[in-house]
Amino acid sequence: MSIINPDEVTEASTARATELGGTEAGAAIGTTSLWKDAFYRFAANRGALVASFLFLLMVAYVVIVPWVSPYDPYAVDFSQAYLLPTWSHPLGTDQFGRDLMTRTALGGRVSIGIGFVGTFVILGIGTLYGSISGFVGGRLDNAMMRFLDAVYGLPYLPFAIIVLQIFGVVTFWTMVIALTIVSWLTAARVVRGQIITLKENDYVRAARAVGARWYRILGRHLLPNTLGVLIVFVFLELPGVILGEAFLSFLGLGINPPKASWGSLAEDGRDVFLGHPWIIVIPSIAIGYLILCANFIADGLRDALDPRTRET
Amino acid sequence: MTTFVIKRLVWTIPVMLIVILFTFLLMKQIKGNPFRKTERALPASILANLNRKYGLDQPWYVQYVRYTKGVFTFDLGPSLLLRNQNVNDIVKDHFPVSLELGFFAFLFAIAIGIPLGVISALKANSGWDYLAQIAGSAGFAVPSFLVATLLIYFFGFKWRAWTGLPVSGWDTPQSKVLPSIALGFLPMAYFARLVRGTMLETLQQDYVRTARAKGLRRRRVIGLHVLRNSLIPVVTAAAPLLGAIITGSFIIENIFAIPGIGRYYVTAVQGRDYSVVMGLTILYAAIVIVGNLVVDLLYGILDPRTREART
Amino acid sequence: MRKQLRLAVAALATVALAVAAAGCGGSSNSSSNGSNGGATTSAAGGNLASSQVLDMSWGAEPPSLDPGLATDTTSANVLYNIMDPLIKLGPNLQPEPNLAESWTVKGPIVTYRLRHDGRWTNGDPVTAQDFEWSWLRTISPQLAADYAYQFYGIKGAEAYNSCDPKKQNCNALRSKVGIKALGKYTLQVTLTSPQPWFVQQSAHTSFLAVNRKAVEKWGNKWTEANHIVTDGPFKVAAWRHDAELDLVKWNGWRDAKDVTLTRINGKIISDGTTAEQSYEAGDIAVDTTGIPPADIDRWKGTPDYAQYASLGTYYYGFNVKNIPDVNQRRAMAFAVDRKSIIDNIAKAGQTPATSMTPKGMPGFDTIHTTYLPTAGEGLAKAEQLMKKVANPVKNVTLYINDAPGHKEIAVAIQSMWQKLGITTTIKQQEWAQFLQFLGPPPDKSVDVYRNGWIADFVDDINFLELFTCRSGNNDTNWCNPQYDKLVAQAKATPDDDKRYGIYKQLENILTGPNGDMPIMPIYWYTFVQLEKPWVNHSFSINPLDQFDLTKVKLLKH
Repeated sequence: MSIINPDEVTEASTARATELGGTEAGAAIGTTSLWKDAFYRFAANRGALVASFLFLLMVAYVVIVPWVSPYDPYAVDFSQAYLLPTWSHPLGTDQFGRDLMTRTALGGRVSIGIGFVGTFVILGIGTLYGSISGFVGGRLDNAMMRFLDAVYGLPYLPFAIIVLQIFGVVTFWTMVIALTIVSWLTAARVVRGQIITLKENDYVRAARAVGARWYRILGRHLLPNTLGVLIVFVFLELPGVILGEAFLSFLGLGINPPKASWGSLAEDGRDVFLGHPWIIVIPSIAIGYLILCANFIADGLRDALDPRTRET
Repeated sequence: MTTFVIKRLVWTIPVMLIVILFTFLLMKQIKGNPFRKTERALPASILANLNRKYGLDQPWYVQYVRYTKGVFTFDLGPSLLLRNQNVNDIVKDHFPVSLELGFFAFLFAIAIGIPLGVISALKANSGWDYLAQIAGSAGFAVPSFLVATLLIYFFGFKWRAWTGLPVSGWDTPQSKVLPSIALGFLPMAYFARLVRGTMLETLQQDYVRTARAKGLRRRRVIGLHVLRNSLIPVVTAAAPLLGAIITGSFIIENIFAIPGIGRYYVTAVQGRDYSVVMGLTILYAAIVIVGNLVVDLLYGILDPRTREART
Repeated sequence: MRKQLRLAVAALATVALAVAAAGCGGSSNSSSNGSNGGATTSAAGGNLASSQVLDMSWGAEPPSLDPGLATDTTSANVLYNIMDPLIKLGPNLQPEPNLAESWTVKGPIVTYRLRHDGRWTNGDPVTAQDFEWSWLRTISPQLAADYAYQFYGIKGAEAYNSCDPKKQNCNALRSKVGIKALGKYTLQVTLTSPQPWFVQQSAHTSFLAVNRKAVEKWGNKWTEANHIVTDGPFKVAAWRHDAELDLVKWNGWRDAKDVTLTRINGKIISDGTTAEQSYEAGDIAVDTTGIPPADIDRWKGTPDYAQYASLGTYYYGFNVKNIPDVNQRRAMAFAVDRKSIIDNIAKAGQTPATSMTPKGMPGFDTIHTTYLPTAGEGLAKAEQLMKKVANPVKNVTLYINDAPGHKEIAVAIQSMWQKLGITTTIKQQEWAQFLQFLGPPPDKSVDVYRNGWIADFVDDINFLELFTCRSGNNDTNWCNPQYDKLVAQAKATPDDDKRYGIYKQLENILTGPNGDMPIMPIYWYTFVQLEKPWVNHSFSINPLDQFDLTKVKLLKH
């Protein structure tokens, strides 16, 4: 995805991360100590820990609030429109008198949901492309990589817009497809880099020498060892997908009403921002909050899974 | 180096062909008629006239071949929506505006982001560092539409009396201030973080220590060695940043009514202006492809080690 | 974000054309239906500001300033101010002489007599030959004009327009079209049948003349600012696409002495919020783009708020195959609190609509029905009606397009129908796809859809004809042969009162007590814009959303 994150897309850092992660992880396959180590390292990172806690808090908010809220998030009551935040409506109400505390939580479900599902789809396609390219190698690898090199950084928004028009109706899944269609390029690159490095490891050569089948090598030796990098990648990619969804919603290509996402809530707020500015601010802050958390978590995870990149 | 350049150049041709085909096929999947713009139904005879005029009565592969030929001869065909304009005209009118917006945004990002990163790194873990880091994080986290809206709210209205900044358009120098900042906000944060990180790393490198040990003055060391090496990733980052700026321009141009290409893109897709959408998409792809090419070349110049590796 | 906000907000329907008869340009008494058209005190000359340069916003970029190709509101509004139409529409939408000083109608033959002092900006006189050539150009299959069908009432026009130049020689058909210049200043038109509305219809932008020399010299590029040749009160000074379209007063125009404005700096702003920002910040003095409905409250009651009646209806259509029981359709129509929708969502002072025929339409008092409720009192009746339904459809899918405002109305109606036990799923589609989904015939999944109609020309046939069996705009699957018969009968009735009587019967079949209710009207449109109080005489927007810049004056401020 083309939302940028210095740690995500600069080739310098990703390449470095993959390379190091690869050699490290390669040696320790099958043992739990690596993961345990990583866990302790992560737990020792205060920033990442706090971020994880806040992240979970947000997830809890979006999951729980709509259940316990006394307000129907879809019921229209114009007499309650545009109320300022009070005890009964901690975030105020919108144009229809709907409680924004509840609506924002519902919007969060959609935004975070699309964020995670979109990220997994990106990783899935990226892993497929990357592992084929890296594993097969040779001419095919060359061609596949030249193509990636050339279109690397292709903006996702134009294609996402076209895809949404193809489906016509915006739903959760069409949004996921739109956001992933050209966003898997980075993931493919990262995975391919991993595979290439791992392939040269002694134990893979050994496995090959004893006649292990290719799928066994790929499935048992190569892919599991990319896992660490992929986990980091989830949190690097998540903000981009969430923001992408928000941009599309903001351009009026958001999910169908009366459902909402943070982006479409912000879009509603934009029409009235001079009179009722908080309506755009609340969902935007929610987006920012989540992005920050994800960034810190990603930093922490990378440090944990790849000790050599830790800043001194 | 030359073979590398030639190889990369040759590779752009099949890539362009694939991008064109991909976009073309995507566009063909979209339902809706470019000529039915309103709820008013058009008589069949008029639709037939329009399809004939724009060659849409031909089979798709004929259209594709004709279109591809057009792309390689720099003729992107007529717009179906703006009846008196060609896609070339539209690109000529709107593209410079987007380019200018992107340039100013970039300028803002560099002018603020790099110093912020340098200060941060030199005074690591000080109050300044935290302040700069907070500013950087905010740039990341806050969506550009909120940045734009807040800029308009405060500078365009609350403090209009002494800022005097207009909130729409792209004609006077004043009108260019707010959109450039809004679009440059994210890249600024990006640069700040990137420079901080790479500088911290470079400061630890042996050659820097050696230079310091040799008694070179701190300022000179930083100016000559550290900054130069820290900027390599900045150059590499330009490519994905280009993507981010293009993406951002969709939002910013819409909010500020800037006659750029991002704003027009959305109109064109919704109006089923096939030729414009294709033309602009291909233009974006071409920009990115050329951008990647340039970055790779620059990278090779700045960091000789990568030359062999990349050929 | 929203494109074409003027249409979407001012009209709340993405009615890109909307334009039909011409009411602008410069008639001495142009309509002022505005309930609050800015400052309306007639200003004496001494009160005028020294600079008569107006900064304003147009809506979206005009897709074309070629009268043959223009189809949208902005293009039309620019054209009415830079060109000289034969006919203008007066305050009650009656035709008034303009470039044509008089006309005669004899059965199917209409003859216009042109004034002798019409001039093109290149110095040439405006002649009947110009009109003959221009109209034939618009009808020609080569130009492929969307609005060629405006001419289909003229003898031979449809045949010529339908000709395929790849297969036939179309010139023979061209010479058979019933448009003839008899001398330099007399234009004779032969219609396929007597059409009482033709003279009004000829006020439409597609009936403007173009300058042959300019068109032949510059081809498709003749509308660019440095090429265009016009014949109206203003001429194009600059056109930076998608950014700015500036006009200056043209002193060679026949009544230039009556024009006060010297220049219009028109910014092209299609987004309502952006236009509103610019207005509020003082960058523009008139915002014709329109305001997002959600923000109208802030302006209402201020001297800046200007609201004009419109000749248009916002309605929902039923797919009668999916909701076959007329009582359910009636119940759904009764359950809608139109006033609440207007007060809380649409907000632009619209009128609750009880009939398809909009208020302001000639003959309205005779034609319109009052069966449907205007506010919340219809709910009890709706519940009664619903009880009569043997197999009620409890889950309906409502299709709307994604222009601003529609979503909010749909959400409100969703909650109103909930009270009848009907669960509504709203599907929002973008415009082009939406249109494709509606058909006709509509996609099977469409149970209810949103639509709107703004008059093409000033006769109710333009609205009622929409729901004939084979109409390209009838997306309801509803077909009533008796209705079609009456439409045909109305078309052959030149006498206004008799025709209005037939229209009344038609309207009753649609929305009356015993009607089939294939559609439910919601409100009649208004146009809303922002005008600084010192922009005098308002914009005199007529019900077809056309404004006349020749009457605008700027006061001292």
